[in-house]
Amino acid sequence: MADSLSPECTPLKKTYDSCFNAWFEGYLEPVASSTTDAQRIAHYQQKAKEFEDKCGKVYAEYQSCIQSAVKQKGIEPLLQQAREEHPLLAPPPPAVHPSKD
Amino acid sequence: MHFFSQSYDYEHPWSHVVIGMWHKYPNPKCSHVISIDVLDRTVDPKTGIIRTERILNCKQKTPGWIVKLFGGSEDAFVREISFVDPTTQSATITSVNLSLSQFATCFERIQYSPAPDNRTSFTQTAEIQARMALWRSAADGLEKWLVQRFEQNAHLGKLGFTDVLRALEERQTAATM
Repeated sequence: MADSLSPECTPLKKTYDSCFNAWFEGYLEPVASSTTDAQRIAHYQQKAKEFEDKCGKVYAEYQSCIQSAVKQKGIEPLLQQAREEHPLLAPPPPAVHPSKD
Repeated sequence: MHFFSQSYDYEHPWSHVVIGMWHKYPNPKCSHVISIDVLDRTVDPKTGIIRTERILNCKQKTPGWIVKLFGGSEDAFVREISFVDPTTQSATITSVNLSLSQFATCFERIQYSPAPDNRTSFTQTAEIQARMALWRSAADGLEKWLVQRFEQNAHLGKLGFTDVLRALEERQTAATM
């Protein structure tokens, strides 16, 4: 697991990463094609809650550490600018190969 | 603007590749990535889509002229947004540089989708673009400065040559007397 940009956040970061990875490995198991939309929504709601219950606490601790490190390192304004230029709040459309002309 | 694109298949099923995404670094073959942090992560309870915002710190040898000209350093930060959609089995990762972004941007897009025979197709595109407005304003400023300096020199040239001509004339007048 990669380190955090701030050494004092690295232990929290690694605990959070392990928590996420453990949850994520079970997350991708395909939902049977016979499931209804309602069942699928219920499934993801339950998974999202499970993630929050398992990793929410360490995530909050890690965030309070890393967010202040981002400010201290002066990255915050660049990050804000990038967020304004490309909010990327929803998946982007599939990439199109640029034509040669 | 410059484009880069490549695509190939990994001989692993989509779910393995997407799990692997979070384990890619640290990597001795990609030692330029020295840190990664998650700044935001949400799991949409309706769609199941996981959106993650990360910041990567890269250290890479930068040509000296770039550091001199743009005042950058070998430490660069990249913002990465990924979406993992377990229903449609699609993963997209978009990255853009934060460092030197006032001069140029490198906008990278990666997509992993399932391919036949338990393989995963990987598509990567990048658009590298200098901020033309900035170059234009810098070029404009340079031109203005050159024009001003030219005007000043032209003025001084006139004054200087006038002195020379006057001195010559005075010498001639003195000789004929």
